[in-house]
Amino acid sequence: MPKSNIDIVKTLESKLSSKSVQILPGQLGTATVKVAPGDHRDVFRALVDADEYTAISAISGLDLGANLGVYYHVRTSNAFLTIEVEVPKDNPKIQTVNDIAPSATFHELEVSDLIGVVVEGNPRSGHFVLPETWPEGVFPLRKNVNASEVKQNPPLPEEKSDEGKLVKIVIGPQHPALLEPEKFAVLVEGETVKAVQPRIGYVHRGVEKASESRSYLQDVYLVERICGICNSCHATGFVEAVERILKTEVPPRGKYLRTIILEVNRIHSHLLTLGHAGLEIGYETLFQYFWRDREPIMDLQEILTGNRVVSSSLTVGGVRRDLKDTDIPKIRSVLSDLRKRLPFYTELYQNEPSIRARMQNVGTLKREDALKLGVVGPVARGSGVDIDIRKDDPYEAYGEIPFNEIVRSSGDTWARMNVRMDEVEESIKIIEYALDHMPTGAYRVKVPRVVPAGEAIARVEAPRGELFYYVKANGSTMPERVKVRTPTFSNIPAFLKTAIGETIADVPPNFVSLDPCFSCTDR
Amino acid sequence: MTNLAMWSRLKSPWVIHFNSGACNGCDIEIVALLTPKYDVERFGIKLEPSPRHADVLLVTGSVTHQCAERLKRIYDQMPQPKFVVAIGACACSGGVFQGNYNVLGGVDKILPVNAYIPGCPPRPEAIIDGVVKLLNALKAPPAPAPLPAKEPEVVVKKMEEVKTDAQK
Amino acid sequence: MNGEETVIDYLLLLFRVLVFPGFTFIVLFTMFCDWVERKFEARMQNRMGPTFTGPGGILQPIADFIKLLTKEEITPCETKRNIYRYAPILAFSVLVFALCFLPIDGSSVIPGVSFAGDLIFVMALVSIANFALFLAGWSSSNPYSAVGAARVLTQFLGYDIPLVLLALAPAFLAKSLTISTIVSSQWLPFAILAPWAFVLFVITMQAELEKDPFDVPHAESEVVGGHETEYSGGKLAFLKLARDVQIVFGAGLISVLFLGGANGPVPFGFLPQFWGTLWFVLKVLGIVLVSEYMTVLFARLRIDQVVRANWRIILPLSILSLILTVSLTYWIFPLV
Repeated sequence: MPKSNIDIVKTLESKLSSKSVQILPGQLGTATVKVAPGDHRDVFRALVDADEYTAISAISGLDLGANLGVYYHVRTSNAFLTIEVEVPKDNPKIQTVNDIAPSATFHELEVSDLIGVVVEGNPRSGHFVLPETWPEGVFPLRKNVNASEVKQNPPLPEEKSDEGKLVKIVIGPQHPALLEPEKFAVLVEGETVKAVQPRIGYVHRGVEKASESRSYLQDVYLVERICGICNSCHATGFVEAVERILKTEVPPRGKYLRTIILEVNRIHSHLLTLGHAGLEIGYETLFQYFWRDREPIMDLQEILTGNRVVSSSLTVGGVRRDLKDTDIPKIRSVLSDLRKRLPFYTELYQNEPSIRARMQNVGTLKREDALKLGVVGPVARGSGVDIDIRKDDPYEAYGEIPFNEIVRSSGDTWARMNVRMDEVEESIKIIEYALDHMPTGAYRVKVPRVVPAGEAIARVEAPRGELFYYVKANGSTMPERVKVRTPTFSNIPAFLKTAIGETIADVPPNFVSLDPCFSCTDR
Repeated sequence: MTNLAMWSRLKSPWVIHFNSGACNGCDIEIVALLTPKYDVERFGIKLEPSPRHADVLLVTGSVTHQCAERLKRIYDQMPQPKFVVAIGACACSGGVFQGNYNVLGGVDKILPVNAYIPGCPPRPEAIIDGVVKLLNALKAPPAPAPLPAKEPEVVVKKMEEVKTDAQK
Repeated sequence: MNGEETVIDYLLLLFRVLVFPGFTFIVLFTMFCDWVERKFEARMQNRMGPTFTGPGGILQPIADFIKLLTKEEITPCETKRNIYRYAPILAFSVLVFALCFLPIDGSSVIPGVSFAGDLIFVMALVSIANFALFLAGWSSSNPYSAVGAARVLTQFLGYDIPLVLLALAPAFLAKSLTISTIVSSQWLPFAILAPWAFVLFVITMQAELEKDPFDVPHAESEVVGGHETEYSGGKLAFLKLARDVQIVFGAGLISVLFLGGANGPVPFGFLPQFWGTLWFVLKVLGIVLVSEYMTVLFARLRIDQVVRANWRIILPLSILSLILTVSLTYWIFPLV
């Protein structure tokens, strides 16, 4: 992230001094801006004019009793703001900010689906995240809705839609290209893609609602099962937010151990994607080789946390188990073996003719589109947008560990996969540095079961991008509201844009290059 | 002839995988089965793209409402004889997500399940073990039905009758 | 045939056509080649491949075939019934018939069936088989099958032209279009006399057989099962077997045209048919391994890249190869 000199709080204060806007610096990020429902568009206009990196990170919908809270979480080049708007429950209308900040589309649809805010200018036809059998008018995130009392409608008959001369090829819910169910109806003319119609929500398990009826410790186990691949990142986001409410400081050894676990998670996820991309372009040998070299990393995860996949090793206040000194040589040897294999794979991804033929100039996302749509992670870094939470807003031990941020500018599938390839090398460096400089001492602190009232946000750089957590506590043993915004949710609009105009054969590599994780998307 | 048919079915089980609302952990362990460390192609197991080609349906996930209809449809498209394996705690009973508003809670709510493989996620070795157990269960003849329980007969005999019986 | 046959002669003829080196041998050899391919692909990927079905997994293709035969056959209601039903068996039988023209053990499998120009006839038969595969996909009324079938058609129509042009090279060298004459005039394998034609023919055959990097009609991640998507049970068994027979036929054609077919040393002149078959089998296995090696090494090209490769690279090169071979035969060899 370029060190920009924009002081966003001062800019807002000067531009919006005439409106009824309340700016509270230092709360929920850089500042919280409380604004009336009609004036929120002016706030956005001021932000977008001031800083090109402005993008909506998430929109949290809250049930505040008589009102519904619509909290816009916005990131800019060097700040993170929360713009709080409240609408009355009996008339929950709010105007869209879609035209000013296109990154808002998906978030507004989700808020209108789950909590019932009517967004004028961004109409929702049918359900967005909820299933098609869900009754209209019942909003699960409202406090008065009880999960077991909702009666489902009978399933809808399949609608025969007439697309004219366009052929509709449906990818998913069951498709060999996808590990998870999600429906993408690709409208093609001949072999050229004209439009992509997504339907998400097949993996929506209602985690946010469920987290309100479980204790904080049970919630750690719940949120890390949002996604098996980046499970440690989800756990990190949640426990960090809770620790910020509690104002607990995790001991340094705990922070370093968390960093190591997160980076091992990143390596395994990137190797998974790099191999999966091979399957999509018909290169089975590449897939087998990558996953063969991924197995020692799974063994590493087992040494560090006791589990191959779902680590369950983070807890509020630190990590659950310590790293034995006798395990460190094994970790180092696995990492050095992997490092020896990396030049072979880097050479393959950069120079092999059939990979270049399938991946170069496919799915190109231009830098200005990447900024406007608010994409995150390697998708953004492959298009020249240098955002990386580990550098921009350091958490855990990342502030003390030197590493490079990998950015490429061509914006196509090839660039994105190469960003991931290079990040594996960086992750190995981070882990080795952390092992060399591991502080001694305690690795966790005890925290009370009851969390006092308060709210906090946490952002984590998951392998797929920025993972956002907002936790609100109300003084009991269970949270009041947990909002999760996962990186793939922000990245899918980029795919909808880049697939148009290319052939149907380009859709799988393009798709895999944004590294979709639908269990994250739907929660 | 039936021996030959049974042998071919046991030696060549083709699988299709469907994720009905899972966190992806079980799915990556299933895909890991095809990789060099675990290599289930040794047993003749192939991952098929189309439901019409497959014998065994591997289901992960706690079956969300949106997926339930699709899961049933995929099961119907498979030709007989077909088997369903529920992989992971979520597919067996709903796992961590039991009771959530969008979750049915386990594959056996809509499909007949032949094998349950618990774990969160189960290790690839556990999945192989589960599949092998399923194949072996098909090989063995079905267990005989238990005999109907009878009331025990109480025979009260006089001492003289016992002696007379013993002399016979 | 002259009128002096006895019952024994007819029985021997039946044995020859149906068992060895006829139908049964062809089917078993196809399954053996399938096993070789799977094991080789697995080994190249650091795995083991089928291991537990029979010794070393050699019975795996047979188990697959029998299992498919015992499965329920589902015919979706919107298919064009008769074409859907008979396309697989049509493809399979046309390909087996084409294989019967190749002199597997020194003379063609069905005795006396070879005629002048049967090289072109055999290549036409392969086109009919490919067309039957296209019909299989087209009659399935499934968007994936339709796209897969269209790709099969695009690919084989395009690559058929350079295939025939390259196959004319050994025909010119042998000065005949009859396969058995081409085999018997190979005192030195034509692969050595016309190596450019041999290399190009192997690459073009790779495209004709729809193997990587020309694997487009079988692209799982794009068209699910391609033209095979809606098939199940016995029809699927024959569809898959037809593809394997096609691979064996392609390798057989290469070995017959360029490597001398069943030519090879016969120790003590004893059992020439057995040794002829052995040499043929070894050469076919060699070609199958080379083809599988190319499959494992490359990713899949896009359909437009495949088509472009054909019209811009393979076709001009095959025309060049033909010119070179003709000038070699008529102007240079007579001088030597």
